[in-house]
Amino acid sequence: MEIKKSAMAGSLESSDVLVTVAPGPGQGVEFKVESIVIKQFGKRIRSVAEEVVAAAGVRNATVHVQDRGALECTLRARLETAIARAAESA
Amino acid sequence: MSSSALEAREERWAKKIALARDLAADFPGKPSSLAVLTLRMPAFLRTSGRFSSSALSMHASFAALLREKGIGIPREEFRTGGDGPESYFSVSLDPLELKRLAIEWESTHPLGDLADLDVMDASSKPITRADLGFSPRKCLICENEAAVCSAGQRHETAIVEARVNEILLASKKNSASLASSIGRLALTATLYEAAAAPKPGLVDPHSRGAHRDMDYLTFLASAAALGPWFSEFAALGSLHRGEPIDLLPALREAGKAAERDMFAATGGVNTHKGLIFSMGLLCAAAGRLQAAGRFPDSATCVSEAAAIVRGISERDFASVGLRMAAVAAPSAQGVAAASGTAPSAQGAAAAGPTVGERLYLAYGVRGIRGEAEDGFPSVIDHALPRLRADLAAGLSMNDAMIDSLFVLFTIVDDTNVLGRAGREGLSFLREGAANSLRLGGMTNPDGRAAIRAMDSLLIERNISPGGCADLLALTVFLELLATAGSQLNSGGKP
Repeated sequence: MEIKKSAMAGSLESSDVLVTVAPGPGQGVEFKVESIVIKQFGKRIRSVAEEVVAAAGVRNATVHVQDRGALECTLRARLETAIARAAESA
Repeated sequence: MSSSALEAREERWAKKIALARDLAADFPGKPSSLAVLTLRMPAFLRTSGRFSSSALSMHASFAALLREKGIGIPREEFRTGGDGPESYFSVSLDPLELKRLAIEWESTHPLGDLADLDVMDASSKPITRADLGFSPRKCLICENEAAVCSAGQRHETAIVEARVNEILLASKKNSASLASSIGRLALTATLYEAAAAPKPGLVDPHSRGAHRDMDYLTFLASAAALGPWFSEFAALGSLHRGEPIDLLPALREAGKAAERDMFAATGGVNTHKGLIFSMGLLCAAAGRLQAAGRFPDSATCVSEAAAIVRGISERDFASVGLRMAAVAAPSAQGVAAASGTAPSAQGAAAAGPTVGERLYLAYGVRGIRGEAEDGFPSVIDHALPRLRADLAAGLSMNDAMIDSLFVLFTIVDDTNVLGRAGREGLSFLREGAANSLRLGGMTNPDGRAAIRAMDSLLIERNISPGGCADLLALTVFLELLATAGSQLNSGGKP
C-alpha cells in the first residue's frame, strides 16, 4: 500500500492513542513511539505497529505513535485507520 | 472498544481541538484553557447510560468549584456522545491553574475517582499531572498506575465493574451517613455536658444552678431539638466547595432555624444559643474535613473552624458598635453597662444586640466569636489536655468533664458570667475554681468538697458560667470525634 499523504487517527485522551502516518523520508518505514507506559509496554507497542504496517503492505512511511495507555485492540484499530486514510489520494 | 466508540472518541477529540482553537477568540489577550470531563471506567459502563445523572452532578460540581473561585465559564456544555457523557468548560484561566483545580476536584469529590478531567491550552496541548509535579493517577483496583493496569487489562472486567458500583453507592450513602455520624457525636457531647455533675452555678441533674427558668429536662429537650441540626451543619460543611469563609452565610441561616427549634422545645428559654454557633461551626468543619477524606483530629478541626469565621468579630462588632452609638449617643447608657450593675436593663434599652455584642462594647471581650476565630485555644490548650489526662489517669468521663470545666472557669472571660455578675463575679469564679483545682479537683475528697461547695456560693452571686459549659461540650465533642474518627473515616472518600 502506498502512503500518499499525512493522516491521523485517534486522540491524545487517556486510554487512547494518536497515530500519525505520513509519506516516508526515503526507503523503508520509520517508527517513532511515545507512550506514558513506555517502560511496561514500549516493546509491545513497537512490535504491534510493525506488524500492522507490514500486514498492510506499507513499505515506505513514517509512523508516529503517541500512546496514552490504549488497549492493544485500540492501538491496532487506530493504526489501520491512519494507514487507510493516508493511502487515500489527496 | 467498539468501532463506534472509537469514532466517538475521534469526534470528541476534534471538538476539543476546535474549542481550544476558539479560546483565543473567546478570551482575546487573556490566559485561557479548556477542561473536558469524561467518565473514567471501562467503555461498556461509560456508554451504558447508568451514569448519566452522576456525570451531570459531576459537571455541576466542577462548575460550582470554578464559580466559587470567581472563575466565569462563558462556554459550558454537557452532552452524551457515542463514548458516554462529556462536559466541556471553556474558561479564562491559566491552563496549569485549571489543571490544578481539576486535580483538586478529582481527588476530593466522592465520585472524583470515576472522572477524567482533561485540560488543554489554546494550542490544544494537553496539560498533564506531571506538568504540575503530580504522580500519575492510581488504578481503581490496585496501587499501580492506572494507565498501566488499563492498557495491560490487568484486572478482570467484573472486578472493575464491582469497584465502580461500590464507589457510586458509597458516594450516595456517604454525605448523609457521614453528616449524621458527626451530628450524633455532637448531640452525645451536648448530652454528656448537660448530665455532668456537680456543675456549680449551672444546671445539672441535681441542681438548677443559678437559674429559675430551666432545669435538667429543659436541657435534654433542647439537645433533642438540636440533634438533627448538628447533622445539618455537618452536611453543609461536607457539601461546601471553595473557600471556608464562604460557608458562613449558610451556617448562619441554619443557626437561626436551629435557634427557633431550640426556643420551641424549651418554651422560650435560651439553653444553647451560644452552643448552636460554636458546635454548629465545629460540625461544619468536621464535615468539610471528612468529605475531603481528611481525619478530623482536634487541631485540624479547630483550625478549619477558625478559617470559616476568620474576621467575624471585627465584622460583627464593627456594625453593632455603629448601631449602639446611634442608639446610646444622647445618654450615658454605655457607661452603665460597663459598670456591670444593670446589664439586663441595658440590653432591653438597646434593642438588637446580643449578650456577646453588648459585652464586647462594655468589656472588649470577644466571647465565643473570639474563641472560634482563634481556633478555640481554651479548649485545645487547656480543657482538652485536662480531659485526656484525667481519662488516661482512670477518672470517669463525668469527673474528667468536671475537672475540665473548672480549668475553663480559671481562664475564660465567660460572657454569661460578665453579663450577670460583672468583673467581680468573674474574679470570684476564677479564684474559687483555681482553689478547687489546687486541692486536687475531682481526683480527691478535698477537691470534690470544694467543687460541691461552690454551687451555693455561685448561686448567691447569680453566677452561671454557661459559656464555659458550652466550651466543655465542644471539648467532649472533639474528644469523641478524635476517638471515633477512625470509624467515621471509612465513610469518607472511598
